[in-house]
Amino acid sequence: MSESLGLLGIPLAILAGTLRGSAPFLFVSLGECITEKSGKINLGLEGTLLLGAMTAYGVSFLSQGAVGTFWAPWLGVVAAGLAGMVLGAIHGWLSQQPRVNDVATGIAMIIFGSGLAFFLGKPFIQPQAPQLFTFEWGAWSSSPQLQSALKVSPLFLIGVAIAPLLHWFFRATRWGLTVRAVGDSPQAALAMGISIFKVRMASIMAGSFLAGIGGACLSLYYPGVWTERISSGQGLMAVALVIFARWNPIQCLWASMLFGGAQALGPAFQSVGIDSYYYAFNAAPYILTLLIMVITCSPKQTLAGSPGALGKEN
Amino acid sequence: MSSSPLPNSPGSPGSPTPSGLSRAEAWRAPLESVLLPIGALLTALFIFGIFCAIAGANPFAVYASIYKAAFGGWSAWQNTLIRAAPLMLTALCTALPARLGLVIIGNEGALVMGGLGAMLVGLGLGTTLPPFAVQLAMGAAGMAAGGLWIMLAGALRHYRGVNETISSLLLNYIAIAFLNHLVEGPLRDSSFITKPSSAELNPANWLGTIPGTRIHFGLFYGLVVCVIAYILIQRTTFGFAARTTGGNIRAAKLAGLPVGKLTLAVCFLGGSAAGLAGMVEIAAVQKRINESLVSNYGYAGILVAFVSRHNPLATVLVAILLGGILASGGILQRSHNLPDATVLVFQGIVFLCVLYSDSLYGKLPWFRADAVSKATL
Amino acid sequence: MSRMLENSLDPAPPRTSYQMAADASGVVSEPSKAPPQLEMVEMTKRFGAFTALDKVSLTLKPGTVHALLGENGAGKSTLVKCVMGFYQPTSGAVLIDGESRKIESPKDAHGCGLGMVYQHFTSVPAMTVAENLVLSRYENQQVINWKKEYAALEEFMARSPFKISLKAPVSQLAAGQKQKLEILKQLYLESKLLILDEPTSVLTPVEADEVLGLLRSEVVKGNLSILLITHKFREVQAFADEVTILRKGQLAGNGLVSDLSAEAMAAIMLGEVIKPSVVGSDSQLDYQLTETIDPDKTIDQTGHPLTLKKPVLAIKQIEAKGDNGVLAVRGVNLTVHAGEIVGIAGVSGNGQRELMEVLCGQREPLKGEVRVNDEVYTATREQMFRHQVYALPEEPLRNACMPNMSVAENMALRTFDRSPQALGGWWLNLKAMQRMAQGLVQAFSVKTPSVETPVSHLSGGNVQRTVLSRELSAETVSLLMAANPCFGLDFSAVDFIRGAITAARDRGVAVLLVSEDLDELLALSDRLLVMSEGKFVYESEMADVDLNLVGQRMAGH
Repeated sequence: MSESLGLLGIPLAILAGTLRGSAPFLFVSLGECITEKSGKINLGLEGTLLLGAMTAYGVSFLSQGAVGTFWAPWLGVVAAGLAGMVLGAIHGWLSQQPRVNDVATGIAMIIFGSGLAFFLGKPFIQPQAPQLFTFEWGAWSSSPQLQSALKVSPLFLIGVAIAPLLHWFFRATRWGLTVRAVGDSPQAALAMGISIFKVRMASIMAGSFLAGIGGACLSLYYPGVWTERISSGQGLMAVALVIFARWNPIQCLWASMLFGGAQALGPAFQSVGIDSYYYAFNAAPYILTLLIMVITCSPKQTLAGSPGALGKEN
Repeated sequence: MSSSPLPNSPGSPGSPTPSGLSRAEAWRAPLESVLLPIGALLTALFIFGIFCAIAGANPFAVYASIYKAAFGGWSAWQNTLIRAAPLMLTALCTALPARLGLVIIGNEGALVMGGLGAMLVGLGLGTTLPPFAVQLAMGAAGMAAGGLWIMLAGALRHYRGVNETISSLLLNYIAIAFLNHLVEGPLRDSSFITKPSSAELNPANWLGTIPGTRIHFGLFYGLVVCVIAYILIQRTTFGFAARTTGGNIRAAKLAGLPVGKLTLAVCFLGGSAAGLAGMVEIAAVQKRINESLVSNYGYAGILVAFVSRHNPLATVLVAILLGGILASGGILQRSHNLPDATVLVFQGIVFLCVLYSDSLYGKLPWFRADAVSKATL
Repeated sequence: MSRMLENSLDPAPPRTSYQMAADASGVVSEPSKAPPQLEMVEMTKRFGAFTALDKVSLTLKPGTVHALLGENGAGKSTLVKCVMGFYQPTSGAVLIDGESRKIESPKDAHGCGLGMVYQHFTSVPAMTVAENLVLSRYENQQVINWKKEYAALEEFMARSPFKISLKAPVSQLAAGQKQKLEILKQLYLESKLLILDEPTSVLTPVEADEVLGLLRSEVVKGNLSILLITHKFREVQAFADEVTILRKGQLAGNGLVSDLSAEAMAAIMLGEVIKPSVVGSDSQLDYQLTETIDPDKTIDQTGHPLTLKKPVLAIKQIEAKGDNGVLAVRGVNLTVHAGEIVGIAGVSGNGQRELMEVLCGQREPLKGEVRVNDEVYTATREQMFRHQVYALPEEPLRNACMPNMSVAENMALRTFDRSPQALGGWWLNLKAMQRMAQGLVQAFSVKTPSVETPVSHLSGGNVQRTVLSRELSAETVSLLMAANPCFGLDFSAVDFIRGAITAARDRGVAVLLVSEDLDELLALSDRLLVMSEGKFVYESEMADVDLNLVGQRMAGH
């Protein structure tokens, strides 16, 4: 397959992987960004991602007869978001009870969300569901590798558009300022008569909606199947990625693309025949995440941009 | 919140006699901490029943099946205890650091690294030493590997401020990738074709079963380690220092406690317990190392730790309970046509209910007396 | 009732100052409506069996400053929280211009023209001044047109009594600036009835006078009425027209300020017994107190030259960063000798907390060295024990206690790894721990149901006593470091703690006392330093302290 390109195939495969693989990171990290801006952490987005992937795939498969193969996957995308919101509502409610830790709730939600996804997703492992259409931006090229690399999903583009939109939302809308106020100083928000519970609930649900759509990217675009191993920690990496992006939606975009690229390393090397370290390269995104956290974090001071209420009990 | 002291005039009347309240209070707290988790478990069972009903199974039949598969007879008990053994150990990987205020969920990774360490030593030593010595060396290697693995998360936390929950979970994936890399490459026994695996551990070094049962000696490891962990935490100065650090790290620093060393040591101990679980699984169950070592004992261990409120003695009981539920996975699939993920859903529900029950401490009518004592002070 | 419904359902957003600035276009606002009259009638608030507020009435006449005096826990905060809609009163009514209003939230209160400036800051640190002001507006317009907002805000700033940079993040403002922003917010919201809850506690005396003076001039112009919660008699006398005094949740007295002397107000506030020695919060009384007592003290305590005394704590060129990564302690030097109390004054947020954390081992210094008894000191447990170093940090529940551990365990924090509480250095002797705790509970009169009770169940004063008993019960203490040890405590606890500190000094303990309460420092210290912007900017023996200069130095001049 890659004879024609030789080693050039590696950067091309990484580019392709970046375009394909960064979408779930992007959606989940933007979702976590909204969540954390309100002062709560949601580690459960890993479970949300899985449930979203399963829901999108299942709905797309089941509805294709009713709405046709073009709209079925879009219905799946919406369903994935809504399924995410349901999990978000559970997390939002539970993590705001007194003495309940949001990190622990997140762990429980990983187990619950993935359990639910595997339970309900069992019948969808075999059949092929209709996939989302893609923009064929490589049609001009004669190289099949380039053509397949430049198949871009509309979901990815939507994600790219959401990032600046979110940035604007936090800066120039009253809702955005309210979320930031709740996340940075709940006491101040309370004095303004803002309901902390409602704002956090809304933020967590909105974030989970995006994370659910991130799952749809996995099952309806790339890799475009539903298996129980489809996520393998991407939801969690996206949570770490928000720290790296300093809670800035635009930087979430760049960070997601970096992670998408890192994830493509293993397959990229395999595609040119270097596969003795396939599994080692598969660990690359995890190691990268860890390295990035080591570099970004500091034991002595709170990180710039970190919402003040994050990780505190209240 | 800043403290807002209630009016506290000198010699205000009605301050309770110490002995009068202390007895009531001495009973109330332990009772509450037993009843609330039990209530949470029952609630979870109820919700799970609704879930099963929606999925088309008769909840009462499901309950009966779970009970039968878990605790209905000696054979079922043996199945349960076999599963409980690694759970007790992996639970400590979360429970011990939790006493220090850390949320570590790298249980699966520590188990994998422990299994790898044990296997490498076991294969390396072969029959050069008596089996007892080899097993000892395998256990030590497993504990060291698992311990160092989690200690890494602790070190990143202490020296770099990296969130230990995320880092330890990432370490799981890295450990699994490392395991896959080894069994696909350097460690692969090409004569075994079922799935990429290492060579088999010499049968002489297998961990035997308790005579007359199918239960392997790993259960003893689990019980002994849990008791030691309990004593260590509750009755030694080391445990006191760890609990202090977990209770308030600023107070610990004020008292000059070596927070860094404590973090590393407790993480090492937690990881080594999970590492020992890996050794047990390798030497008593799997005999070869391959991907099936990753069998969710790690994640279930997190749940055990939380349900037992990070108390190593309670861990033993909860591990047996959850071991039973895991043992019933097969029967749910066979008799009720429920997918194997049903058990995972149930674990999720239990976890959520237990977390919610934490918010009820001191709130239920029976246990509200201490609010009164607070107001009169 | 109908009035309330009408109010809460009123769809028209309250007129914003942005709109006003747009119409007015002038520098000075159009002659605004005079403030309404605010009456609180027989307000009662119960929490369970505890009555925090018992039939208190108060009238704030238009265009006046009304002071609300009382000790901690007298019910001042409860009263205003009921007015502001944070609490619902158990009984009683709030009347605005004679009409009863039901106020269920701060938003309702705003609808009545009420605005409150809290003791703690209520601005969002991560947002800019402009964002904070815009967010504080009660309205539903979602999208913010920043260009227009900035133009309007700059106009508002031009005619406001204080000036703050609009684009500065609040986290970078000094404490005084933040407090001014809190007041600006209420002016921006066009609140006519301002409730100020101890607004000067974070200000230097000069700043306090400036802020209250400017507000007073607004009141005199008839634009505002102010309800001023304070415990500083000086402020009452300088700025208030009327005063209401609460005591233990009940109305203890009220009247015109011109009719009441500070002594009379103190007498009402404290009940029958006047204990001037513990009126730590009353500036004037205490200033006199220090002046009259100090001469004796200097003969007794500091009569002989300091060089003869043994230096215990030596701080050399310490630098440390704050939580936000900015240098908070900028190279300080200090020596504390045996048998003296060295006080460090300063407005909060000038590096005292970070310095204290360095000394207590809670923060790593960037540079410099701490020496105790002429040996390098890095706050390890071994060093603490060898040199007998103890500490009373501020906010004991946050800094010095394990809230969920028992009183006994908290009391054992210094001794759990020593005989007899530890056998062989590693096995805990729980019996010995309990015995010691019972002894300390008796000796320090800690009120607790039992020594097994979690320390977080105790009241603030008893938590402080628990810490005090632990830190002061060692046979030999050579160095004691305390920060705001009496903050938020009632008089009996304050008295007790101050007594314990001076007793320690008299036994020859070297004491470092960091406090935001200047009166406390003046009453206790033998030597006074002022910390400002991370440095010591003033140092004097107590006999020679120049209060004017101290005030200026605290203000950073």
